[in-house]
Amino acid sequence: MTVTPIQQPLIQLNGVTKTLKGQGEPRPILSGVDLTVRAGESVAILGRSGSGKSTLLSLIGLFDRPDGGQYLLHGADITRVPERRAARLRSQEFGFVFQRFFLLKHLTAAQNVAMALVNGQGWLARRKRRARVLAALEQVGIAHLAKHRPARLSGGEQQRVAIARALVRQPRILLADEPTGALDTETGALVIDVLHAATDRGCGLILVTHDHAHANRMGRVVRLRDGLLVPDRAGVAV
Amino acid sequence: MALTGRLRSAVVIGGQGIRARKLRTFLSMISLFLGVLAIVAVQASSVLANRALLADIEMNEGKDGTVVVGVPPGTESVSAVLDLVTGHPGAVATTSTGAIIGEPGLTPVNPGGVPLRYADQGGPAMKMVCDGRGNCYSEVSDDKPPPRGNAVELLVVGVTGDIRQFRPFQLEAGSWLDFGGQPSMSPRLVLNREAAEAFTRYQLPAEMTIGGSGSQPSPGSPHPTPRVVGAVHDGSSQPTAYVRADELLRWLPETSNAAQSMGILMTPQASASITPALRAKLGPELAGQIYTHTVDSRERIGGQLDMMKWIFYGMAALVLLIGVAGILNVGLATVGERVEEFALRRAVGTPRLLLAGIVLAETLIIGLLTAAAAIAVGVVGLEAAGQVFGANRPTLQNVEFPWEAGVAGVAAGLVAGVLGGLFPAIRAARIPIATVMRA
Repeated sequence: MTVTPIQQPLIQLNGVTKTLKGQGEPRPILSGVDLTVRAGESVAILGRSGSGKSTLLSLIGLFDRPDGGQYLLHGADITRVPERRAARLRSQEFGFVFQRFFLLKHLTAAQNVAMALVNGQGWLARRKRRARVLAALEQVGIAHLAKHRPARLSGGEQQRVAIARALVRQPRILLADEPTGALDTETGALVIDVLHAATDRGCGLILVTHDHAHANRMGRVVRLRDGLLVPDRAGVAV
Repeated sequence: MALTGRLRSAVVIGGQGIRARKLRTFLSMISLFLGVLAIVAVQASSVLANRALLADIEMNEGKDGTVVVGVPPGTESVSAVLDLVTGHPGAVATTSTGAIIGEPGLTPVNPGGVPLRYADQGGPAMKMVCDGRGNCYSEVSDDKPPPRGNAVELLVVGVTGDIRQFRPFQLEAGSWLDFGGQPSMSPRLVLNREAAEAFTRYQLPAEMTIGGSGSQPSPGSPHPTPRVVGAVHDGSSQPTAYVRADELLRWLPETSNAAQSMGILMTPQASASITPALRAKLGPELAGQIYTHTVDSRERIGGQLDMMKWIFYGMAALVLLIGVAGILNVGLATVGERVEEFALRRAVGTPRLLLAGIVLAETLIIGLLTAAAAIAVGVVGLEAAGQVFGANRPTLQNVEFPWEAGVAGVAAGLVAGVLGGLFPAIRAARIPIATVMRA
């Protein structure tokens, strides 16, 4: 199914700010970020280490709340959404892929994927759950490894299990934080293929990466600089 | 529906956590086991002691609510009581007297009907005396005793019906008295455990001297030949024989005032009709000597074991607290190790409350498993104690594990699970979700 990205934005950030308050001086990290992502669209975010890429991703994924600005999801303002609703939205709307795979070593690949289904947000019967898990693993090409524990999987396979976990709830937006950082170039390219394939099914993708080659495969590339998102390629709107 | 989903999720994830950390689960169970076992043991002991005490009181005095009436002795009283009570389904009259079974003319081995453990120990001659309220006791006799021989003095209690509806004697051999048909000339006796022991220990000729209690039988005391038909445990340490009242009274000399005590055991309903009728029959003088009281065995024993029980509960609670500290320690360490897992679970949409529920579910499952183990050990231990010590301690024979102890064990396991899991659960719920981003 091809989705034309001319419709209501999935997410829309308007002048979002965030200041990190640690033990030292408060450090402004985002100074008014504007970003719009539509269904089926893929966006790569580049930037130096410490520039705030992961912080921006954590705001989009509702891990944290912005200090200022506005965050719209399907047109609804969720800037100050309470934690209970945020948990529901994380479950229903977002899929997350991290640099480290965060697979639980005592669970099989299938059980790791099922983790996203057994999260207190509704209950699926075991048979339905298994079908969804196998479909997700199939989607990333490792259904035959369903019963393997992480220790028996390669890095690329582990990351694909993590992607299956992100996809199993059929999210509207995939958030990937340097998903190829721990992989070699070839395996990394395969992982990007898998992520990119999700956009073909209408899923929005936001990829945080240092790798220009991977970034250039996205529909849009932006750079986080001095707390602001700027186009990385001439003529590409933020 | 949402709640069911969360509960199921908590149990599923908690089960995965336990399976992933079997050794820690086992160590947590060990730290908790002694505490839960202590609670189970105290509760079981308390229930069993209560039952034993209650059974003892019921056998000696009567079941809770039984109305006991003491009637002044005398031919007139006996006649009035028998008229009112004989054949009444809710009342049994008792009349007791002393008797000696064995060789006539000898001093019994237990003068005054004292328990057999005091037999053959010398000392002053004793004789049995019963008062108007039905209480019989031994007192020193001034008479010079004849030589001792194979004779045993015992209390003979004549009953007009099955007294076991009020005093639940345990039949140990033979049968209970048959109240159908005509009274026999040869009194049929049911011995209590102490009297049966006397028949086992001594070679007693089957000759009974009734009413001639003490070391010197009164002249002309009747000498029927009794038949022993059964043996019961009646909770009394005094040698006692139960006999049909009509068979006993046939042999009691009317002039000797030998029916030394007279009493009635009855239900409150029967008492409502019998007691006023008895007072009317006896006349104002004798009616004034009637003594009435209602057995309140449960209330009486209520306070007897309380102090001891609470002391033991306190000690058990301390042991349980040590177990809780152990499970708490393991729980906190485990949450520390699982920070990333919990942060990841929050990232995929698990609410904070469910995260806390997962940790609590794990400790509750551990608490329940421990409780099951402690109860199983309690059941097996009680069975083993019954087999090893049952011969010397009859209260341990054929004792069933009290369900109250099982409930106490499960409750202790759950409480320990909650106490031990609460702080780790709160800590798990507070893990910042951004942990996964910074890792």
